[in-house]
Amino acid sequence: MPDMRFAPPNPLRIADRATGLNSVSVRSYNERLLLSLLLQNDGITRLEIGEKTGLSAQTISVLLRSLEQEGLVSKGKALREQGRVGPPTIPVALNPEGAYSVGICIGHKNTEIVLVNFVGEVGFHATLPNPSPSQNSNHPEFLETIQKAIAMLPKGTYDRLAGVGLALPESGSLVGGEEQAIEQKYAALQHEIESEIGFPVFVQNDITATAGGESMFGVAKPLTDYLFFYLGAELHTRLVLNHQIYNGNSALSFDVGILNLEQALQQQGMPTDPLWDRSSNWPDYGQTQKIWEQALIERLTNSCLALTQFVEVDTVVLSSYAPRDICRTVCSILEQSVPGITAIAGNLNPSPKAVGAASLPFNSRFMVN
Amino acid sequence: MRSVLCFGDSNTHGQIPGGTPLERYGPKQRWPGVMARELGDNWHIVEEGLSGRTTVRDDPIEGPHKNGRTYLWPCIQSHTILDLIIIMLGTNDLKARFNQPASEVAMGIGCLIYDIKELTPGPGGTVPEIMIVAPPPMRDDIKEWEPIFSGAQKKSHELALQFEIVADSLEVHFFDAGSVVDCDPQDGFHINQQAHENLGVALAREVESIGWPHEPVQNT
Repeated sequence: MPDMRFAPPNPLRIADRATGLNSVSVRSYNERLLLSLLLQNDGITRLEIGEKTGLSAQTISVLLRSLEQEGLVSKGKALREQGRVGPPTIPVALNPEGAYSVGICIGHKNTEIVLVNFVGEVGFHATLPNPSPSQNSNHPEFLETIQKAIAMLPKGTYDRLAGVGLALPESGSLVGGEEQAIEQKYAALQHEIESEIGFPVFVQNDITATAGGESMFGVAKPLTDYLFFYLGAELHTRLVLNHQIYNGNSALSFDVGILNLEQALQQQGMPTDPLWDRSSNWPDYGQTQKIWEQALIERLTNSCLALTQFVEVDTVVLSSYAPRDICRTVCSILEQSVPGITAIAGNLNPSPKAVGAASLPFNSRFMVN
Repeated sequence: MRSVLCFGDSNTHGQIPGGTPLERYGPKQRWPGVMARELGDNWHIVEEGLSGRTTVRDDPIEGPHKNGRTYLWPCIQSHTILDLIIIMLGTNDLKARFNQPASEVAMGIGCLIYDIKELTPGPGGTVPEIMIVAPPPMRDDIKEWEPIFSGAQKKSHELALQFEIVADSLEVHFFDAGSVVDCDPQDGFHINQQAHENLGVALAREVESIGWPHEPVQNT
């Protein structure tokens, strides 16, 4: 048997000087493990990486070198703490310009498109009317709009675009006011975007995507377990345990969302446009809003109580299109009605679902599942 | 206390550009000395720089003692226990008498890594941290050394990539000295005092950034 020590070198990753993102196929499990840690932590030292992964310092060195070369990771500056013995700690962090992602969500009335960088900062945002499916083709207008959005991306981001995330609502929900199943309606969308635009498309249920967005970029970043609520037209919920989002078959949602408030307001002849405009705060809707909030909080409380019989979860994240002040108020009342629960209002702006959609390509291309 | 072995050639020995092997920078000026200053009192730095040292080759002209591989064994065992071994070699392998491409020089570096892994001179008989440092590329004008190194200049620019491939495949640390220093124009392949300073500081930062698992035991 030949002495394998003297066979040609077989690198984990061929060191080269090429730029741009490496293709999906060559990204090793350990590299994904490392990127997952970096996406879950704002700054982490090599020592901490070693402790969390069990990889040796030398292996981490090889992986980080290749990620630095690829531009995904920037070497942090040494932190020399006063009075600390031993070497300074040098945090490793993602390079914000290392990768970009486009997120698209089809909402109750509008389609939102965002471009985010590797640390979740939104660089571009557009709101468009929902696509109206035509008879012959699937949705030419929609495709055109996505193309326009991608054309508006800053120069130099194209070769760093990890892909397009598409967040679709559950079938049977109220998009377009049609009864037609979402699966049929948007069946070919993924393929169409991929062939027309040339970027990989990652599709996910919109609520699950939003929970993923809060985990990757938002208030849920430091949380491993939490109960997730999305307050949109209706109220939706997901359970996140050990960073994994449980995406059950149940399409259960509760009619205590913004749509419910809108109907109540309409009955009283009050203006409802501000409800669907993310950029503005709601006017004072008085008693009607109070009643709606009570119903909402009652629903949230019941869900929390029902869940805590089975799992120990002490954190609730409420993500919403509604103004953050409203969410904060709801959260603080919820904390009072469910002892031991910490409720946090989500902070993904301007559209939690679209930012959540933008987390999908990063999740699929860079993280371990 | 952590111990570091700096295993190299004339550029670790501290030979002054344009000088002879007898002309040498002082202990605090040479890069191992600079690195020792930067790392502080908890580190013990061992200098092992020999002019003309190759990776794995007996030199038919200068003598078999220039072979880095045969000397590495007794050298490591003399200085054990070692937490880190830094190897900066390769330039002398490019001499015309050896007629080797950069990739073969990198294979020689690979041999040294394997030998260290077999010797396990780290704490508790473990494999120590190993850092491969690619030497800075030679200048085109190497004065009277041209016949000895004929054709080496171009190959010297390929060493960093070839060394990194080996370092990746054998999972060891790597640093490209050419990213922080140039060779001095006096002879085109030795580094001057300022370069020793810059290299020592840069390597100290690299050494610190290794995720050292625990604080070293105080046994001064």
